[in-house]
Amino acid sequence: MQWQLSNPVMGIIVVVATFVLFYAVSYISNRKSASAQELYVGKSNVGPITNGLAMASTYMSLATFLGITALILNLQAPFILLWIQLILAIPLITIIYGTSLRRMGAFSPTHFIRNRYGVKASIIAALFMILVSIMYALGQMIGIAVTFETLLGIPYMTGLIVGGLIIVGYVTIGGMAGATNNAAIQMVIMALMFIVPLAAIMKAVGGNGWYFPPLLYADMVPAMLEAVPTFFDYQFSPKWYFAIIPALTIGALGLPHLAMRVYTASSLKSARSAMVWFAFILGLVFSATYAMGFVGVFATATQGLEVSAADADKLTIILNLVYNPEWVTALVIAGAISAGLSTLSGNLLAIGALLSQDIVATLKPNISQKASLRLGYIAIFVGGVISIILAVEPPAFLVVSILWAFGLAGVTNAPLIIVGVWWKEANKYGAMAAAVVGGAIYIIVSPFVFPNIVLTGHSVTDGMGISGALLAVPISFILLIVVSYITNRIPSLDSRLTKKQDSELIEQIHGWKDVQPYRYNSKIGAGVTVVVCFAVAVWALMPWGM
Amino acid sequence: MKAYKKEVQFTIWMTAAFVLVGNVGLIFSIFPTEAMMFGFPVKYIVPILMGWFGVFFLTIVAGKIGNRIDDEIERENEAQESSKEAKGA
Repeated sequence: MQWQLSNPVMGIIVVVATFVLFYAVSYISNRKSASAQELYVGKSNVGPITNGLAMASTYMSLATFLGITALILNLQAPFILLWIQLILAIPLITIIYGTSLRRMGAFSPTHFIRNRYGVKASIIAALFMILVSIMYALGQMIGIAVTFETLLGIPYMTGLIVGGLIIVGYVTIGGMAGATNNAAIQMVIMALMFIVPLAAIMKAVGGNGWYFPPLLYADMVPAMLEAVPTFFDYQFSPKWYFAIIPALTIGALGLPHLAMRVYTASSLKSARSAMVWFAFILGLVFSATYAMGFVGVFATATQGLEVSAADADKLTIILNLVYNPEWVTALVIAGAISAGLSTLSGNLLAIGALLSQDIVATLKPNISQKASLRLGYIAIFVGGVISIILAVEPPAFLVVSILWAFGLAGVTNAPLIIVGVWWKEANKYGAMAAAVVGGAIYIIVSPFVFPNIVLTGHSVTDGMGISGALLAVPISFILLIVVSYITNRIPSLDSRLTKKQDSELIEQIHGWKDVQPYRYNSKIGAGVTVVVCFAVAVWALMPWGM
Repeated sequence: MKAYKKEVQFTIWMTAAFVLVGNVGLIFSIFPTEAMMFGFPVKYIVPILMGWFGVFFLTIVAGKIGNRIDDEIERENEAQESSKEAKGA
């Protein structure tokens, strides 16, 4: 069945109005980015509520708006249980390293890696981060294409090119200051356009708790259990649920576009308040998406709604088309576009910053401010175009490429930052070994490169990088710690290492004005981490029983 | 020394607490239950509620303690500076 708005004009008006609003906000808040730093992090003067909403908005991508419901339809409750911990991203970034990097004045995690481990390690990390951002952007592009497809009744390809280029153009013009204010507005739009229509759908399928859809659908549970007795079953072993921690909880700590949001805060206190707002609003929206997924399965099982496997990513829109008036669906589509837009702007700006600041400006430090800024704009645009090209032949679910990107960030970036912030002994040799070997292992065991070399054989688990991360993340931590420890004790390498500067940097980013050898130097902590990681990596190689 | 220890311990325990409340599903996968709560299976609704309100509560606690530790580090820095000045005089 072809799912589309029968009156595309109304949809177009709503989408155009949304874009006019975003362009206007961009224009007002960001008439001119004076420097490269302003382009990427704004002026570091964003208040906690705006920033908390913007954090949630950057994070709440099309994966949330369309992707979750699609995979709930496919995996049922286990996917909800997988998704819940994604709310930990900003709180963990803030307490583990966000405030330290904010204190340092870093405007990207790679900036920290450059100062901490040197140029070579930072370029390796930046290259991996570009891959992470592109894979993340790919999922968004698929969602954008699907949304335009249903909006205009056009083929996927046309939707991809039209929608993709409009959004890439917007981000290239907008920069981060516009993006932060817009992201806050987008969060409000997304929450409203998701939860209010959900209430109407719940009412239509007979739910009594429609006045607070995120949590009040217990009355539908008995009918659901009768129609789909397995809906709430865990299906997988504790190993699968444990693997979510390295893949997604640690993975989220390495996402460049998320960490950047912590640096836009006006102060450390403001960054901490922002995380409270983030948790509240994201919890609300996440819970609503679980309800939407529940209602989607409920409708297919009890109401005769038929959604083909190819249309799974459209489930949120389909439910609106079936149960709500068309103008509501038009608003939902505008909400979906907002979701894609805010996350894509975060992804593309991260690509811009990575290429122009972390690679080119690192190799050519004398490059002019103007040239660097121009390069940033070009990188944003080219990154966007690459994600459009990759979306031409999309994976089965848009969320798969996004979650795979989480794992890659968890392997190649997160250990470098976490250990780098908390352990003085970590050095460039350890960092490079961890990123290169860990990253290579993660890519090899993913089904995208060598489909026969996978850990579980369960396509969604391997595709989302859950199994790969359980192996590669601990290996990355082990390599970083062990290689650093050994190379620090090889006298001939002493002249190539910057131990004194590393110590000073770490003390300074934690807020200390002096350097004390006892701080951030625990051998026990490093040893325990290695032993635990070794056990986890061995466990990952044992049969998964799936 | 005091503020440093507090900072490290706070980060470790707070991280563990966050990971725990965000991954309640892992606990129910080890200790399954068929009990019901508020009309939902416990193994479904408790992870959702903890993943929202549990995390929200922890962010408030983490924000407050984080700010306090920053102040303590600042105070230790000042104490260090003033003792240096006293020695210099």
